[in-house]
Amino acid sequence: MTLTNMLISHSNLGFCSDFSRPLLLPLLLPPPPPAGSSFQPFVSRLTSIVGSTGILQNDRKLRQTCQVMAAAPSYSEAAGVTESGMFSQSDDDLNSRGFEIHMSRDDINLDKLNSLFVMVGFPRREKGKLLRALEHTVSLLWIHEKKSGSIIGFARATGDSIFNAIIWDVVVDPSYQGLGLGKVMMERLIADLVKRGISNIALYAEPNVVGFYQPLGFISDPDGIRAMAYSRRRR
Amino acid sequence: MAMVCSTVSFLVLPPHFSGRPSCNVACSSSCCSVASSSHAYCPASRNIVSILTSSHQQRHHHPLTSDALDKRDLRTKAGLWDSIRSGLLKTSPTSVTEPERKEDEFDLVEGEVVLVEKVQTDGTVEKIVFASGAEVDVYELELLCDKVGWPRRPPSKVAAALRNSYMVASLHLYRQPPSADGDIPALEKRELIGMARATSDHAFNATIWDVLVDPLYQGQGLGKALVEQMVRALLRRDIGNITLFADAQVVDFYKGLGFEADPEGIKGMFWYPRY
Repeated sequence: MTLTNMLISHSNLGFCSDFSRPLLLPLLLPPPPPAGSSFQPFVSRLTSIVGSTGILQNDRKLRQTCQVMAAAPSYSEAAGVTESGMFSQSDDDLNSRGFEIHMSRDDINLDKLNSLFVMVGFPRREKGKLLRALEHTVSLLWIHEKKSGSIIGFARATGDSIFNAIIWDVVVDPSYQGLGLGKVMMERLIADLVKRGISNIALYAEPNVVGFYQPLGFISDPDGIRAMAYSRRRR
Repeated sequence: MAMVCSTVSFLVLPPHFSGRPSCNVACSSSCCSVASSSHAYCPASRNIVSILTSSHQQRHHHPLTSDALDKRDLRTKAGLWDSIRSGLLKTSPTSVTEPERKEDEFDLVEGEVVLVEKVQTDGTVEKIVFASGAEVDVYELELLCDKVGWPRRPPSKVAAALRNSYMVASLHLYRQPPSADGDIPALEKRELIGMARATSDHAFNATIWDVLVDPLYQGQGLGKALVEQMVRALLRRDIGNITLFADAQVVDFYKGLGFEADPEGIKGMFWYPRY
């Protein structure tokens, strides 16, 4: 794998602004990774790559850049979703603070999920119905808090898996709010939907959370479109 | 005969955002013509029989010839002729706005609802049938979308989206010319003239998308019937939360069907890629 290929494939990683190797790199290098993100450098791979391209091995900046890039946790994980193309908090960041991200309904404990719902004022759902809902959910995310073993965050999206998706039930345990976990979930959920090719992502936001969704890229009532819900009272 | 004429355009779905390659459904205001001139459907006919509800699961009526039944089964699960044979047909003309509420008897399971029935002067029988489980041909749907001015989408994607929808509701126009030969009924033709679909988690929430009616048949209350029947079908399946996104000019249309805009101040929001 040439350095060029590597740069292209890890294009969401580190950038040295005063780097003066114009030929291959500038167009491909994005902003530096956010502070605090951790990575494990793959030094041996790095050495062989640099060696094979013949670029000056002594250039420290280049080595730094390559180290950062070689250690990319995943390819364009949040491309199009965040400005950097990386999540605001990486899985490793979260792990080190005791939070595990899950994006499969395997192992989800419905009782714990219901407890979370109750904590934020949602009704407790009948488990059979809840399971059915999860089985017909296109994408979901839950946060497992290691110390307590509780589910402290949840979000899911339904839809036709082709054109449209609606995000429902975005919740964070009140004791863990204010830590950016809602944003953590939303970035990943949207990235997953975008990766599946779903371009139309919508949701219904209570008035007090419209401000939460706006910085994440949501616009309310675009072109005068209105959310509507059937009300049995009115009939 | 009172036909409901209303000015509606049927956009439910989200916007055609500029620059988006695959637009889901565009604003259909262009398709909405108040239909006063397009009553292709009403005037020449007489003997509007009635609106019947019929259930495709009903098997205890007298069948016609097996040939006729075979042909029916291919296209429709409704048993109009069967209903007639079992004497449920009313003889006096009634207005074409609300389906008759023989709910207990015929809406036992999801089936089809005959919304309009006419016998033309030449004996052609025309029916407009709502179905919540009929097959919608993607190419017929593409033609329909063309008629209302919605952009085309790749047929394979549309087919997959329909398959992944919880409910696909359709309005089909069935036309049966009078039989040349006394015994054998002529082949019935079927045309898609309206559609709506809903996605859902099969338990709590459903969202209605892509509501459209052929402009030639607009202005008769068919859109209202389509959505109303769909809502009933969803409620029967115990879906408690039925939602949609309405273009500004159809908000009133949906209000008239029992939908509330921004319920409890809740706002519809759409994600736009910025990077």
